[in-house]
This record gives sequence, C-alpha cells and structure tokens, in this order.
Amino acid sequence: MNDAAADPLDEQLAKARSGERAALGALVQAHQRSVYSLALRMLGTRDLAEDLTQEVFMQLNANLRSIDSNRHLRFWLRQVTSNRAIDQLRRRARLPLTSLEEISQQFSSEDRADPLLQRHMQALLAELSPPARAVLLLRYQEDLDPPEIARTLDMPLNTVKSHLKRSLESMREKAAGMLPARCEDRSS
Amino acid sequence: MSKNIESREDIESQMRAALRPVAPRQAFSRELLARVMLEARPQSRPRFFAAARVRPLAWWLTASVAACLVLAVGVHQHLQQQRLQQSGLEARREVMKALHVTSEKLNLAYEAVKSQSTSLEDEESGA
Repeated sequence: MNDAAADPLDEQLAKARSGERAALGALVQAHQRSVYSLALRMLGTRDLAEDLTQEVFMQLNANLRSIDSNRHLRFWLRQVTSNRAIDQLRRRARLPLTSLEEISQQFSSEDRADPLLQRHMQALLAELSPPARAVLLLRYQEDLDPPEIARTLDMPLNTVKSHLKRSLESMREKAAGMLPARCEDRSS
Repeated sequence: MSKNIESREDIESQMRAALRPVAPRQAFSRELLARVMLEARPQSRPRFFAAARVRPLAWWLTASVAACLVLAVGVHQHLQQQRLQQSGLEARREVMKALHVTSEKLNLAYEAVKSQSTSLEDEESGA
C-alpha cells in the first residue's frame, strides 16, 4: 500500500478527463464492482442497486473534471454511493423485506463466499440503520479504517466508532442465534 | 474475556468473507458501460469559454442594431423638424407679402378718397 507508487488508473483518469471514452470505460470497469456491491448491500435489491450504480457513474461523468487522482475517485465513488443510498433509505421509511431466495439470486455464482453466510449477513445488515449499515460496509467490504469512514460519510470519528461497536455487538448476538452449527464447528 | 475477543474476531472475519465485493450481472455491466460512454461528451472547452466566445459576437450584433435604430430615429426627427421650420418660414413670407400688398392697396384707396374730397371742396367754394 504505497501511496507514492504510480497508480495505472491515474493515467486512465487523465485520459478520461481529456475526453477519451475508452479510458472512461476502463474506469467504470475498474470501479463498478465496488459501487454495485455497496449499493446492493445498502439497498437490499438488485434493481435498486443497478439503478443507483448507473446514477453514480452518470454523476461521475458530469464531475470528472473535479477528480484529480484514482485515489480521489475511489473516495468520491464511495462517498456518493453511500450518501445516495442513505438518502434513498431515509426517503423510503423501510425497504420491503427481501426473501432469502431473492437474496441468494442477487449474488452471482462466481462469488466464492459461502452463500448461506452471505444470506445471513445480508439479513443482519438489513436490520441496521442506514448510517450504521454504511459504516459497517465501508469497514468490512471496502476495508477502510474508522478515520477514512468518518471522512467518507462526513461523520464524527466517535460516531463511526460507536456505530461499529454497537453494530458488531448486535450482529454477534443475532449471529450466535442464527449460526449455531457454524460456531460449534469452529469451536471444536 | 478471551472468549469474547475470539467471538468478535470471528464475526469480523465472517463479515469480511461475506462482504466481499460482488460482480453485477454481465448484461447490466455491458449496458452501464455503453450508457456511460454514450453520455460521455468529448471534453471540449468548458462552457464558460464557449459562452465567452459566442457572447461578444451577439453583443456586438445587438449593439449595432440598437445604434442603427437610434440613428435612424434621430435622422428622421431632424429632417421632420427642418421640414416644419421651412414651411413655417414660407408661411411667414406669404403673410408678410400679403400684408404688404394690402397696405399698398389701402394707401391707394386713401389717396383716391383724399383727392376726391379736395376737388369737391374746391367746387363748393367756386360756386
């Protein structure tokens, strides 16, 4: 993780800013997985996640000039996706509950993670408040540390830490009930 | 306590495993790429410069049309005023001429009446 090392996507960004469409395409391909996953886990359904992903990249297209590096781009995409998802969730007081079958269809067969585990995690995530969900996703999906999460969500650091602590406590309690077999396997 | 830490680490590692980024549908990915690239405009000059390039031309055009209109109205009014002044002077000349002629005619009539009354007085005194 050397920040000083040249990021090959910086060059693509410079080309995209000067109007090269292929370079913009390369940026979309490089970041769509992260944006889509964040949107999917925040909003809970594939259709909403696809709509949000498209909106975010359209907004990127209009704001490309204000982005100066790939690092900045990653920050910008996470920030816009999280904030838009939180706004959507606040507007719709509560998303309709997604069935377990639907959740399993939302993850492509290429994903190697345990589908049962993913379903349980998604169900647990859906019970958290939108900001807490965003904090948890930025921490464990995007692997950001608490100060980076605080900057991304424009939230005080202590609030981020308390969201993480409370969400983990709550998820651990619920997971203990939902995954008895798994915990037993690991303890033996 | 150790059990508590273990279970916390356990849930964290489970979350990292479960929350790995997932790929969108391939069809969506293709559509997204096509849409973004279609919407991407070649980054020419920013709008400000484009507007600045067009604005002077429009400004000069508007200004010259306005100046032409003002000039035309001014010239028209000036000519009209000159025409009125000319006709006023002409009318004055006509009136002066008419007064002059009338005055001459009155003088002639006065002279005629005067000479007639003098000859009558002479006849009466002779008689």
